[in-house]
Amino acid sequence: MSSRQVVMRARYKQSVKDPGVPGILIMTEEKFVFTPDDPMSTVNLNVDFRQIKSHKFSKEGSNKQALLNLIQDSNVKGGSYIFEFDKFSDRDVCRDFVGKVLGKLQALQSAPKNPAINSERSDVQVHHEQISTTEMELRVKLLRENIELQKLHKQFVIGEILTEAEFWATRKKLLAGDNNKMPKQRVGLKSAMLAEGPLSDGRTNKVTFSLTPEIIQQIFTEKPAVHQAFLNFVVSGKMPEINFWTKYCRAEYLHRTKNAIAAAAEAAGDEELAIFLKRDDILVKEARRKIRRVDPTLDMEADQGDDYIHLPDHGILRDGTKETTESEYDEYRRSLLQDLNRHAAVVLEGKALDVGKGDTVTVAEALARSKQAELANEISEENANQERSERLARMAEIEDLQAPRNYPLAPLCIKDPREYFDSQQLNALKTLGDTVAATKPINSSLSTVQAYGFLRKFISDVKERGLVDPVVNPETAVKVLGGLTQQLSSAKYHLGSNPQESVLDRLPHRTKEELLHHWMSIQELLKHFWSSYPITTTYLHNKVSRLKDAMADIYTKLQGIKESVQSDFRHQVSLLVQPMLQALDAAFAHFDSEAQKRSARTGERPNGFV
Amino acid sequence: MASVPSKLYSDDVSLVVVLLDTNPFLWTATATATTFTFPEFLAHVLSFLNSIILLNQLNQVVVIATGLNSCDYIFDSSAPSKVEPFESARMPLLYSRVLRRLEDFLGSDERSERSNGAAAAAAPSSLLSGSLSLALCYIQRVFRSGALHPQPRILCLQGSPDGPEQYVAVMNAIFSAQRSMVPIDSCVIGAQHSAFLQQASYITGGVYLKPPMLDGLFQYLSTIFATDLHSRSFLQLPKPVGVDFRASCFCHKKTIDMGYICSVCLSIFCKHHKKCSTCGSVFGQANPEAAAAATDRKRKAPEV
Amino acid sequence: MPQVRIIAKNFMDMVAALPELKLDKLYENTFICEAVLRSLPPLAKKYVLQLLFIDAPVTAKSMEEWVLADGLSKHRVAIDRLIQLRVFLETTESGALPREPMPSNITVRLPTLEELDVYALEQWELMDTNAQLWYIMREYISNSEDRGEDPADLISFLLELSFHATGQAYNLNTLIDVQMHTLKDLADLGLVKLQQGRKESWFIPTKLATNLSMSLTDSSARKEGFVVVETNFRLYAYSTSKLHSEILRLFARVEYQLPNLIVGAITKESLYNAFENGITAEQIISFLQQNAHPRVAERTPSVPENVTDQIRLWETDLNRVEITPAHFYDEFLSKDVFEGASDYARENGGLLWEDSKKMRLVVNAEMHAQMREYLRRQK
Repeated sequence: MSSRQVVMRARYKQSVKDPGVPGILIMTEEKFVFTPDDPMSTVNLNVDFRQIKSHKFSKEGSNKQALLNLIQDSNVKGGSYIFEFDKFSDRDVCRDFVGKVLGKLQALQSAPKNPAINSERSDVQVHHEQISTTEMELRVKLLRENIELQKLHKQFVIGEILTEAEFWATRKKLLAGDNNKMPKQRVGLKSAMLAEGPLSDGRTNKVTFSLTPEIIQQIFTEKPAVHQAFLNFVVSGKMPEINFWTKYCRAEYLHRTKNAIAAAAEAAGDEELAIFLKRDDILVKEARRKIRRVDPTLDMEADQGDDYIHLPDHGILRDGTKETTESEYDEYRRSLLQDLNRHAAVVLEGKALDVGKGDTVTVAEALARSKQAELANEISEENANQERSERLARMAEIEDLQAPRNYPLAPLCIKDPREYFDSQQLNALKTLGDTVAATKPINSSLSTVQAYGFLRKFISDVKERGLVDPVVNPETAVKVLGGLTQQLSSAKYHLGSNPQESVLDRLPHRTKEELLHHWMSIQELLKHFWSSYPITTTYLHNKVSRLKDAMADIYTKLQGIKESVQSDFRHQVSLLVQPMLQALDAAFAHFDSEAQKRSARTGERPNGFV
Repeated sequence: MASVPSKLYSDDVSLVVVLLDTNPFLWTATATATTFTFPEFLAHVLSFLNSIILLNQLNQVVVIATGLNSCDYIFDSSAPSKVEPFESARMPLLYSRVLRRLEDFLGSDERSERSNGAAAAAAPSSLLSGSLSLALCYIQRVFRSGALHPQPRILCLQGSPDGPEQYVAVMNAIFSAQRSMVPIDSCVIGAQHSAFLQQASYITGGVYLKPPMLDGLFQYLSTIFATDLHSRSFLQLPKPVGVDFRASCFCHKKTIDMGYICSVCLSIFCKHHKKCSTCGSVFGQANPEAAAAATDRKRKAPEV
Repeated sequence: MPQVRIIAKNFMDMVAALPELKLDKLYENTFICEAVLRSLPPLAKKYVLQLLFIDAPVTAKSMEEWVLADGLSKHRVAIDRLIQLRVFLETTESGALPREPMPSNITVRLPTLEELDVYALEQWELMDTNAQLWYIMREYISNSEDRGEDPADLISFLLELSFHATGQAYNLNTLIDVQMHTLKDLADLGLVKLQQGRKESWFIPTKLATNLSMSLTDSSARKEGFVVVETNFRLYAYSTSKLHSEILRLFARVEYQLPNLIVGAITKESLYNAFENGITAEQIISFLQQNAHPRVAERTPSVPENVTDQIRLWETDLNRVEITPAHFYDEFLSKDVFEGASDYARENGGLLWEDSKKMRLVVNAEMHAQMREYLRRQK
């Protein structure tokens, strides 16, 4: 096991700001040793990795220190060891090594120490996972952020009731949820239009274009024809790059001057220049291809009228001047709208090639590669699309032609709704303090006719004699009001002034905390307990008995709380504790009955069972 | 000078729908047993109705009679008053109108009793579900009448024992009241508490009260139940102790915390059954062992 | 009790301001009791109701038991009001003794079919009708003593009237002389309609009269609005009423009039017209707000703020600084001399400003010669 080790130059530091002692750090799977360069130095470390609980490291950055912080288990000693490395890469080697070692150790540590388990070693191994550094980081982060989780972790994992792996197995969501963070945002293209405009000094006829690699990259993406031409002429070596760009700038200049006729004339004399001046054929092709890829269920005809590009001169000219439209020069004309749209499309596609500050040739080649890849993707996508559309066509039914859907249903037939009432009424009335358990029927010796007769007589009496006056005699009124007021004020005293206040808030703070913590613990244990059934392996068997012991422990603690609490609160506390005890009781009962079944079936315990 | 324009009625304008229990057996039984008689009851209630109308010109009162076999609107203060003979100088018009309609109602209730031929003595509970539904219908109509409407609430003056056979209908009415935010106040005037009304008030946020001194009924009504919803947010009114929502199983009537629930009709059982005794659904799990294991894990009845 | 004359904001303030004896006498009348009850804040109403049959003092503390922390201020307002109106009387043990404000059986008089709203409503414009009515009634009541009538009698009669059924004819012979006299004034105001029979005369209360007590409470039924005002000062009124059209014409320029829609604009000129006619900006704004179409009434504010602000600004535009040449007099020798001088200036219509504490006054320059003459004479 000690065959693997890492040796690295590092500085040991007492704190982050401490300049540190330079020396050699040697890490093995069991421990790490730090020997300072200065033999006189007192700093000499020889630490077992088992004392290390976790590790932290500084973020990479140009002006930051490459730090690695090994944090000791607070149960053993507390404190931490900080090392500074010369380079981040050195640090990362050590960091990854520590991560692995710690992961392994934790898994081992949390494995039950029962010697009987050795025979089942292979089974246990299944539950040991090799935890990656990032995973470890994530767990440590979660624990640090969530005090409740930390408490549970300390209680059960460090208390050796659950293994690290078991503990986290039930919280995969928590881990996953944090993992799936959005990828880091990348810098895209600027949304501002290229302003590679000519800079004229106004006195001479000299016009300056400034082209930076970024601008060139943008030109390539926005104007595939230029890109293609560059590949054809410059990359293949037919034309020096400077000539190429000069021609390009000339073409741009012609575009700017809006002189379509001059452009046409010049294009006629210069084949290469014509490429820049004419309409970008690749773009046109691409557009056609894109249209073909549109979902066939989409009705393109519906918004054909929205396509303004076809309309003559609907594109606003870049500087607002209007020109006579002559179809022969059409292809030498570019509208602002087209430019805008193309630029917007490129920005939205957001493909920033990661060529950095390479020369134009690299840029051009990289772009060509990515284009190719894209094309390949598109083709495969197209196939998929076709399949999808065919499936859609098959599935989309014309609703009008469908028969009414009559799902078979059985009418709900409730034999006796009274049962529902009975199932609730009993408890409801109990809380009101009614001693009468069942509804007491009004016993009346009168027949229906007589009863109605009486009632009607009452009414006619009232009509004849008028109503009782005064309705309430003052004495009764005072008594009633007094009674109600007293009832209210006593309720106020008992329940506190805030009706929303829960029972818990009235308990002493410590009791409340304890109860809440126990409740959490019980939930955690029960979750593991019930998920261990049916017991198929010795591992599970051991786990369940460990869990049972832990639950029994909490059970007695709960009883303790119940008894220790002041008499005023005892009733409320026992009400709160009751469901917890019941849940535990159910688990115990299940444990016992399962154990009985098991022993009855197998006759005797197999080797290795406790 | 010019009053501040109010867009809505001020908050204290109320619509009180009062459900009167007119179970003849209730009143004939109390007549012999206690000192609180039907005429006294009427005196208290009528004074209460009058008080509500008196408090605000825009207040509205609707009375619904809850009979043994039927229910009906008895009085609506917003209805245009027909020319009626001034029957008695002894009492206000409201009173005489209520009394006359009540008499009519009792007659028709008795007639439907006869035509139904039901043995009333066996289950002398009044038709609470019916009158609750009528009240809610009325309130819905008010809600739809426009933005300007009084704040409605329901007051049940109930004395008859709960009718278990009305359970589903009553609970439905309660939940629909809850949804439309109509509080149901309950004033129990019978000998025993009402589980229905206790739940109704609890769920809808109304007040449940069983006055210990019935001869002071008006005092209870005026002190507690006359409080408009607006004022209730400033006042402490008697709160129920809390409802014990734990259920007892249908099979043995044992109070249980955990049990089996039919996934079709929500009946509760303490043990696993092959068939639901309420709705007859068959619980499909052939293997009892596996079923036990499955239920242990899931802790509920298997799907049908 | 109250020596200071309170400027009554509403009817009940006026009632509350009556001397103890008169107030107590008023409570002998059922209608007054009822009207007072209805005018109370909700919490106070509840207290009155729950103490109706209580004949022993109730401690203030036991009343507070019912109040939640949130409601304490409302509780105090309610109790104060009840004590002010002498519905509750404070006793020495700092408790409140409720008096019985009304008999529980209130007999309502013969109600029948109603019909005559329009008769009354015609002259009532701009302000909330009830508010205007109250405005006038307040003046009427405060002038009653000059006419040799007892305001308490008047109040009780008015309140009684408000509980009469609309449209029902009541015989005049049940009334006493003072009431007869008042009734004629009320008929002019549209509160009642008088009808001459062959032998006997009758009066028929209109809705305005029966609403009188309603105007006493904060809650008032509102009719549906019809005006939409836009931020560009345009105004759309969905109404077929000629009256509405005329009212709008008072302060807006009506541009189109369709069968059910009036379109107009609020302009500076149209508003100046209104101001000249004595209509105030507040009245216009409150008219627009009160009659806001349901669609816009939902919003706050129902009338755009820029419009209301501009209306107010245009009104204040009229209140400009005016320059009057004047002389400033001070250092008077004695108070008597000062007062004499200021009286003299006032009598001659030249007094512009005075500060009696510092004995300074400003008088129109035209009067300077007279003033100098006067002051010389005083020496």
